[in-house]
Amino acid sequence: MLIKVGSMIAALLAWLGLSFLFPETVLPGPWQTIQVLADNFANGDILSHLAATLGRVLGGLVLAMAVGIPVGVLMGVNRLAEKTLDVWVMVALTVPSLCYAIFAFIWIGLNETAAIVAIGLTSAPSIAINLWEGVKNIDTRLFQMARVFNASRWVIIRRVLFPQVLPYIMASLRFGLGIVWKITVLVELLGRPDGVGFELFYWYQLGNMQQVLAWTLLFTLVMLFIELVILQNLERRMFAWRPEVRI
Amino acid sequence: MDNGIRIQGLTKSFPAPRKGGAEHRVLNGLDLTIGDNEFVCVLGPSGCGKSTLLNTLSGLDRDYQGEIRFGARPMTRAGKPPVRMGYLFQDPRLLPWLSAERNVDFALENSNVPRHRWAEIKDHYFQLTGLQAFRGHHPHELSGGMAQRLALVRALAVEPDVLFMDEPFSGLDELTARRLRVDLLDIWRRTGKTIVFITHNSYEATFLADRVVVLSQGRIRREIPVTVPRPRDYDDPALFAVSKEVSATFIAAAEEAERARAQS
Repeated sequence: MLIKVGSMIAALLAWLGLSFLFPETVLPGPWQTIQVLADNFANGDILSHLAATLGRVLGGLVLAMAVGIPVGVLMGVNRLAEKTLDVWVMVALTVPSLCYAIFAFIWIGLNETAAIVAIGLTSAPSIAINLWEGVKNIDTRLFQMARVFNASRWVIIRRVLFPQVLPYIMASLRFGLGIVWKITVLVELLGRPDGVGFELFYWYQLGNMQQVLAWTLLFTLVMLFIELVILQNLERRMFAWRPEVRI
Repeated sequence: MDNGIRIQGLTKSFPAPRKGGAEHRVLNGLDLTIGDNEFVCVLGPSGCGKSTLLNTLSGLDRDYQGEIRFGARPMTRAGKPPVRMGYLFQDPRLLPWLSAERNVDFALENSNVPRHRWAEIKDHYFQLTGLQAFRGHHPHELSGGMAQRLALVRALAVEPDVLFMDEPFSGLDELTARRLRVDLLDIWRRTGKTIVFITHNSYEATFLADRVVVLSQGRIRREIPVTVPRPRDYDDPALFAVSKEVSATFIAAAEEAERARAQS
């Protein structure tokens, strides 16, 4: 904890130091950035932009998980599925996210659905790969144990397979979030009239670095909060049964 | 109800690893009759078909030729086996996210033991195995011996008529293993079950069994009855004498298997 706080202070000092070397239009200092952020809160629609972005992040994440988890699990447990799908997952992973966004906006229209489809489909392959690798590590000896104790197929899936896959689902949730939000701002910049991505692009076009930094800072803080406070605590509670691993 | 096991002409082959190669025959027309409440130890060199035998008997593997009967009830090709069985693996195979007690519940939930008897059954076996104080612990908090004891509780809690054990004590230190063997005999004497126990330890086999069956190349090479009266003393010289014979048969079987492998 102390180390984390220390490194954050060091980063802030570095930012402060660098900001003296450059003009304000290129690199505003932390203090100015925070002031701009505070002004935005006081007299802007910052919360509605943030809500729009978070809504898309959530929608995209749900879609990405809904597609990525079944594909990944299937590839992990079934060799035929693995052989058939692995090249397509690689292709899907290789296509740039910008292409997904363009396809979605042209084929579905400049609307919310298209944005979420673009975000979800871009992130799904990474989640599928994550789960695929994870499911390969599960302990199949436990399935044998369940079978000699007369567990039905459904019971085995629910009580023996699922709890083993759950840690990988949680890991891919965190990992997926990291990808999804980066794509969300890109999609917003390309085809939405609101959201953090839209604002970033707007201020970039006006050459206002203070605002660009203020929005970047805001979004980073929100995401760090979700990741460090919400997801990590949730994970700790869910997997309390695991032996303590100290890194 | 008769819970003896009759095995007739049991043959199991695995497909050839390469196209055009010979299929690998693990069990080769094996005949074996195990009496109701009999304790039989199966001994043999690795690759002799011990584990395959247990897999077919327990219904894990239903793809074989021949016939398996429990009393008058034949093993079916699908569905639940016709007999209540408990299974103890070489490793405990506990669900790590469940407490000791919930691990036992997992087996009970899939058995036909009525729910109102669970508490009494669990109390009984947790007490018997000395795990009473560890019911709320998770598997990673248990030692190897304790985890295997818990697996034994799980296997017994479903009130099996037949108990299959696949080298259950081979991964434990000798002291723990010795205690568990004595405990097992005690439980067996009190509850009466047909037990098929796989091992590669000839003294363990002799100490435990009514009859030791030595397998070699998918067939029975020899059956050695152990007539030493029970309760048995672990250091009884009479056991040593039988064990010596078992051991000699086992070594001969292993050498035979090696020769056969060298020829093919």
